[in-house]
Amino acid sequence: MKLYLALILLLPLAGGLINALIGRMLPRKVGETIACGVIWGAFSCALLAYTNFTAPVTAEYGSWLSTFDFKAPIALYLDQFSLILTLMITFVCGLIHLYSVGYMGEEASHARYFALLNLFVFAMLVLVLAANLPLLYLGWEGVGFCSYALIGFWYTEEKNATAGRKAFIVTRIGDTAFGIAIIWMFLLFGTQSIAELNFLAPLAPPGVITVLGILLLIGAAGKSAQLPLSVWLPDAMAGPTPVSAQIHAATMVTAGVYLLARMFPLIGSSPTTLAAIAVTGGATAFYAATCACAQRDLKRILAYSTISQIGYMILGVGAGALTAAGFHLLTHAFFKALLFLGAGCVITALHHQQDIFRMGGLRGKLPAVYWPFLAGVLCLAGFPLSGGFFSKDAILGAVFERGGSLYTSLFLLGLLTALLTAFYTFRMLFIVFHGEADNANHQENGERTLPLVMTITLVPLAILGLGGGVLNLPAYLGEGLLARFFGSIPGFGAMHSSHMEELILQGIAAAVSLLGLGLAWQRYMGVQRSGVLAREQAGSKLFIFLQNGWYLDELYRLLFIRPFVRLARFLWKGVDETAIDGALEGLARLMGRLALLPSAWSTGKVATSLFGLAGGVAAILAYCAWALS
Amino acid sequence: MIVPLEHILVLAGLLFFLGMAGLLTWRANMIMMLVCIEVMLNAVMLVAVGGSARWGNADGQLFAIFIMALTSSEVSLALAMVVYLHRRKRTVDTDLFSELKG
Repeated sequence: MKLYLALILLLPLAGGLINALIGRMLPRKVGETIACGVIWGAFSCALLAYTNFTAPVTAEYGSWLSTFDFKAPIALYLDQFSLILTLMITFVCGLIHLYSVGYMGEEASHARYFALLNLFVFAMLVLVLAANLPLLYLGWEGVGFCSYALIGFWYTEEKNATAGRKAFIVTRIGDTAFGIAIIWMFLLFGTQSIAELNFLAPLAPPGVITVLGILLLIGAAGKSAQLPLSVWLPDAMAGPTPVSAQIHAATMVTAGVYLLARMFPLIGSSPTTLAAIAVTGGATAFYAATCACAQRDLKRILAYSTISQIGYMILGVGAGALTAAGFHLLTHAFFKALLFLGAGCVITALHHQQDIFRMGGLRGKLPAVYWPFLAGVLCLAGFPLSGGFFSKDAILGAVFERGGSLYTSLFLLGLLTALLTAFYTFRMLFIVFHGEADNANHQENGERTLPLVMTITLVPLAILGLGGGVLNLPAYLGEGLLARFFGSIPGFGAMHSSHMEELILQGIAAAVSLLGLGLAWQRYMGVQRSGVLAREQAGSKLFIFLQNGWYLDELYRLLFIRPFVRLARFLWKGVDETAIDGALEGLARLMGRLALLPSAWSTGKVATSLFGLAGGVAAILAYCAWALS
Repeated sequence: MIVPLEHILVLAGLLFFLGMAGLLTWRANMIMMLVCIEVMLNAVMLVAVGGSARWGNADGQLFAIFIMALTSSEVSLALAMVVYLHRRKRTVDTDLFSELKG
């Protein structure tokens, strides 16, 4: 087991290093094969670990940080949760690596791309498997770095580089809170091991636990793009589409959910923290869903839907339904990777056209993309019996079960969000794939044929997304596999509700999803379609408001960026240039003036020197005469 | 000793300052400046010889001879340079040479 765990981590690291160091000298095919091979190797090791798994294990490989009491060994902890996530990460990332071979086929700096992609998988696996918080933090920052470098992958365009910086800086705010929490926990408990921290948690006073929980929530909000730190994710779409699929949809952005679930025994004892987590998740889910309804960039729709779906997961954690949150994390990883890869196919086929109003009628032209994409849409919309339906309903059910006015209103908000989700998802589908083609766009360019490897990778994801519900069927259809598998982890205890209630809730969820479908159908498939599209392109006030994400960016610009710029300008112009530079330059000018006085003596004539000599001799003589007398 | 040392010192001092005054004022002719330098050196030699006579020590006379040898070589070099300078500007007025100005 120890060997498998080490290999899971070392293979992507080795692949990343090889591609980073000598990737440019290797033939393209070799670099690509290594990059994909190591991920699938890691997946095989994860499978082996799964078959040999009996009970949670901790494997220690060596000491990393060790000063006085502070000990953070290189130790990995594998339990059911991290095992399932490792399987998911290696599998989804493996598919995305294969897809990248096709998508980045014409990219010159493929070595940099694959090196970063592999390093990202390594960092993500470190994050998931770490047995102590400093190691987790290492992975946490590692994925942040890779995300930054990959968002700005095409850095020659100013826009992309700025998006990368924005992602890095915004997540850094959350990371700071997380770092404070780590150090504080060490001061409180004297240990950094996650298992020990969770075990010792009841010893701490409740107020401290609440604050720790809030700090961890801020950390999670930064990484998982939750309110109020959600602004970076829509801009992160500047990166290549496989990167968006792998990092900004399937794996990295769910790290916040993972962190909260991991530390749940510690933070779960504080109702305030849980309420804060639930409210954050619910509000983000609703906010992002409204924004997604008005986007016209295909990838931005998916980005906002990602924020919204992660909001659901956080809401699930806040309701104490870790199994449901983990379940949604899994299905979401499958169907969101699928949707992004499908979007990548569409974008490639249309010569990097991302505006959905320039698309349309692609159903007949790209059937190999349409059907998997439809599967992803059904999952995202929570269409009955798809994977997304079961996982989303599990979260909503858990929120409802929790009771109380707060959680009931969050449940209603969640239902409304589900309606919006179904609406915007089908809006996207109908506008992009149905209706009339935008002739101006198509006739000019025609569609590019897609590499087979790009469309073929959609199929397993579609199957997993659609059939994901089997992983954790509701209780009335027999016990859920995940629920049983996760059952023994502390904090993951199953929620028990009567079968009747659960059926009713699922009925409501199904009705809501179908209602969203109906609304979208009526709006975008009927006779009004062309009128609606024209109106949306013109953009009403509300539409523009939603399209700009409630002007959250503008709010930040007003609240933070502009005062900061003003302060910086004052420090630059006022303090640095006027005060400091002024004083120094004034001093230098004074010295220069003083130096002009003796410089008159330097005439270059012998006479001046002679007079100087005579004067000097006279002075010395006078001094001698005065000193000797 | 017939002549007291003080007289010699006063004479030497007078010679020295006369030479120096000539050096500082007669700048229009470089050769005259060299002559003035010789006068100053002679004053120094006079002091050395006077001291040597006063204390009955030959070192001063030795120095005087040494300085004579030195000045002869110095003057020959200096005159050569005067020739060169004269070739450049057709004059020996030192105030017209200011190329050393920084």
